[in-house]
Formats: sequence, C-alpha cells, structure tokens
Amino acid sequence: MTVVQRIKNIITGVGMIAGGILMTLYPDMGIGAAALILSISLTLYGFRQIIYYITLARKMVGGRRILYRGVIILDLGLFTLTVSDNTKVYVAFYLLGIHFFYGIIDILRSREARRINAPSWKLSLITGLGNIMITVIAFIFAADLRTLNVLVYLYAAGVIYSGFLRILSSLRRTAIIYIQ
Amino acid sequence: MQKDFHYYATYCAAYLAGFSHDECMDICYSAQFVDCCSATYLSKIGAPRNAATTQLQLELMSAGSDILSLQNITRIWSSFHFLPGDLYAYRAGCTGIYLSKYRLICRPNGMLLAATVRNAMGRSLQAAGIAMHVLADTWAHQNFAGTPSLVINNTDDYFYEIMPLDDAYDEHRITFRHSTTLKDDPDEHIYVNSPYQGSEHSIMNLGHGRAGHLPDYSFIRYKYLPAWGDYEEIVKDNPADYLRAFTQMIYALKYLRRGSGSFEVGRYDTDAMIPHRAQIEGIIRKRQTDSCDDWRSFGQSLSGCEIEDFDIDKYQAEYMQAENASRRDETFLGKFLTAALSQKSMVTHEIFTSGNLLAGFSIDGRLRSSLKKGK
Repeated sequence: MTVVQRIKNIITGVGMIAGGILMTLYPDMGIGAAALILSISLTLYGFRQIIYYITLARKMVGGRRILYRGVIILDLGLFTLTVSDNTKVYVAFYLLGIHFFYGIIDILRSREARRINAPSWKLSLITGLGNIMITVIAFIFAADLRTLNVLVYLYAAGVIYSGFLRILSSLRRTAIIYIQ
Repeated sequence: MQKDFHYYATYCAAYLAGFSHDECMDICYSAQFVDCCSATYLSKIGAPRNAATTQLQLELMSAGSDILSLQNITRIWSSFHFLPGDLYAYRAGCTGIYLSKYRLICRPNGMLLAATVRNAMGRSLQAAGIAMHVLADTWAHQNFAGTPSLVINNTDDYFYEIMPLDDAYDEHRITFRHSTTLKDDPDEHIYVNSPYQGSEHSIMNLGHGRAGHLPDYSFIRYKYLPAWGDYEEIVKDNPADYLRAFTQMIYALKYLRRGSGSFEVGRYDTDAMIPHRAQIEGIIRKRQTDSCDDWRSFGQSLSGCEIEDFDIDKYQAEYMQAENASRRDETFLGKFLTAALSQKSMVTHEIFTSGNLLAGFSIDGRLRSSLKKGK
C-alpha cells in the first residue's frame, strides 16, 4: 500500500466513524443518508470497473472477473438506490444484509490470506466475525419492531467498527518485492 | 538480477572481453551501482535527482498515482531495468491505452538494446557498466514491463517449477506467500511475491513483483501465465537465458573495447566462454538464491586479482569534495551520472517518438543542461 493509498484509507475510515456517530445522533435521517451514499459509491465503482474492463482488462488473463464484479456491484448500487426511499425498517434490514455480506467476504479473504501465510489474515477474520456478530444481534433486536432505533444504533456501531479497522489496516506494513 | 550477476558475473564477462582488472572493476561497479543510484542517494551527495537509475522501496511506497509520478517511475524502470523489446508491437483488438502499455514489455534483442550499447560507445567505462546492467536485465526481466500495470504485469496461481529428472523433467507447483518476514525456500518451492492489487497503477503491479524473485534466480526453470499472454503459458528457462546474457555481455563489451565496428542484436560470444563453460554453467545451475561467492571465486581465478566487495560509498567523497560542477563531471560518479542521464534521455526520447506518452515527454537537452548546472 502506498502512502497515498494509506492516506485515502485513513480519510475513508475517519469518514465512516463520523458517519456512524451522526447516524446514532440522528437515527431517522441517518439510515436514508447511509443508503444513498452507499448506492452512489457502489454505482460509481461498478461503472469504473466496467470501463476498466472494456479499455484494458479485456485482454488480461482472468480479466472477466473484473467485468463480473463491475456488473454485480453496479446492480447492487442501483438496487440500493431504489430501496433508499422506502420505509426505514426495510432500508435498515437491507443495509444490515449488506453488512452481513461484507462480513462473509472478509472471512473468505482471511482464509485466502492464511493459505498464503500473509499476516493480514487475523485482521480480516476479526473484521468479518465482528461484522457478522453485529448483524446477527441486530436481526434479533429487529424481531421487535418497537426497538427499531436499536437496529440503527447497531448498524452505526458496525460502521464505526469497520472505520476503525480500516484505519488500523492502513498502518500495517505491506510486503513488496524489491526489483533489482 | 542481483549483485551476483550485475557485479561479479559482469566482472568476469568484462575480463573475458579483454579489459584489465581495474577496468573490469569500474565496469562491474557501475553495473551494480544502477541498483543503488536512487533520488534519495543523489540528494544526499548533492547530485541531480533526475539522474536516478532506481527507486528505493520507500520511494516507491510514497510515489503518487498521478500521471507525473507514473511517468517518472516508467522513465526509471523502463530505461534501466525493463528495456522495452518492441515499441511498435501490434496486437489486434486492443485499445490505444492498452497498446501503449503492451509496447513497454521488456524483451531481449530489441531495437533499444542496440541503441543502448551503441550509446555507450566511446563514452566511459561507467557507460559500459550501465549498458551491461540494462542488457542483462532484458534477459532476466523479459515479459514484464517497467510501468505499474495490472493488465500487463499480473500473474495468477499457475506457476510450476520445471526440474530435470533423469532424462526428463518433473514439475512442481510453486507456492507464493506474501509476508515481510519470510524468505524464499527453493527446496520446498515456496517463494515470496507481492500481493494482488486490483488497482491498475498500484506499485505492486510494477515489473516482476507478482512473480517474486523468480526472474532473479539463474538456476530456475518455470512456467506461468502472464496477464498479457492470452492464456498461453510461457516457459522461462533462466539457466539458458543467463548464459545468453553472459555471452552477449562479452560480445557487447568486446565491441565497446574495440571502439569501432558494429553491434548487432542476437549475437553472442560463446567462443570466449568455451574454456570455462563447465564452470560457468555450474554456477548458473546451482540451486542457490545468491551466487556471489561462486562468481567471485571464478572471477578471481580468471584475473588472479582480488575482487573487492561492492561498497556503495566508495566514490562518494571524491564527488562531494570536487571543487566545482565541471570537476564533478570528471569524477567516477560524475561520469556515471552523465551516462545514466544519456541512457534515460535516449530511452525516453524513443518511447516518446513512438507515440507513447507513458514515460513523459522527451527532455533530452534539458536533462543534460540541468546536470551541468548541478541541480
């Protein structure tokens, strides 16, 4: 990870922590805003990946994975946009679902990192397990719709937790092959 | 390639080409110094930073992903470590931006190699050393480009080491790990490489980082799938390539020593090597990650003189204590920097005139004048 990437990651992490805190202060508005931001980020990222595939990765071994990832993320971004103006409870459920999905991805990444002996596997595993645990607790609370704000608080806690871990991962050393 | 080949093997090639011990020391020192002359080092000795021939790990880590930083990286790594094989290569169905990266793939015996050796003609022993570094790296670093690019330099898990077994060959799956604490373990076929980075311009996607140090080891034969290769595997035979690099160095150095005649790509001086063939092949094929001791012993047996260890600070005081800029140019490091700037200008100019902007604009004249001003 270069210095610029580290700085970007730290800024994103701080943004996530700030967003999580705002969500707990204004739970009614927070969830909708989070869904909107998530939707815009996913849509832009999806578009970028598809353009990257068309211009460069089309000729790359394994490049089709970039196309698939772009299409799926673009689809997810557009779908998030359609649910962002729905009732708060559905939006909260949807965001928690995405949070759960990220948790699984983190655990899969952790397994891959462990297989190649990369030290980052522990951090990925902690991130994944934390995200899944928060989501499961949130779903248990959500069984009683009167405690909907608890759902929002738990989601915000998940966002803050991810933000902290992102900052932490930016401060880690990365293996790089020095070419001679 | 590493110090074993750039320093000690280059000494041997220079000696077999007819240079004296002292001349060989200057040539091999310059060849190895290409891997040390970073902007950080140059600022320490008060030399022009644009003469850098390499970038340190921390310099790379702090490099931006803006166009100017990428052009600076490309200028350095394409000029000295990944000399493009064919700046006019064509591949059907590609966009222009893809082609500009594809054309920077390093290959031996390209038009730029001939230009590099000819550019060193009549200059200095330092220029000859730089040219030998570039030449040797075209063999080791072939199929990778000196610009950060995922679509060119990425590799996947498909890596097999090919080992001789009686009259046939045996294949062993290579396992890559990326950890700052691990070392390569050839006995277990475990090597360290840079991790996958999905960003096209990530520094992790510069050169052969994704293949680890495999291109740097003379003993290894392996097959893999390069990102640009359309799913066709490449069999990389390092022992054969290193032998060609060695004999091509002898041929090029004889040309430089003569100071006349012509240099042609694809020619190798195997005759000069024949009396020592078994010994040279033995060093190249020995399964070890560092062949310094073997090459040094061989070099010393050739010349009967001691080859001193490489010392990065050997010529530093001479350069720093020079009275003025023109005196500095006459020092060992001054001559090295002049030759480095000339090589960088020539390669940048050729890339630029091929219509490729990845190394930036051609600044041939300006580089020279900034050196004279001692900026």
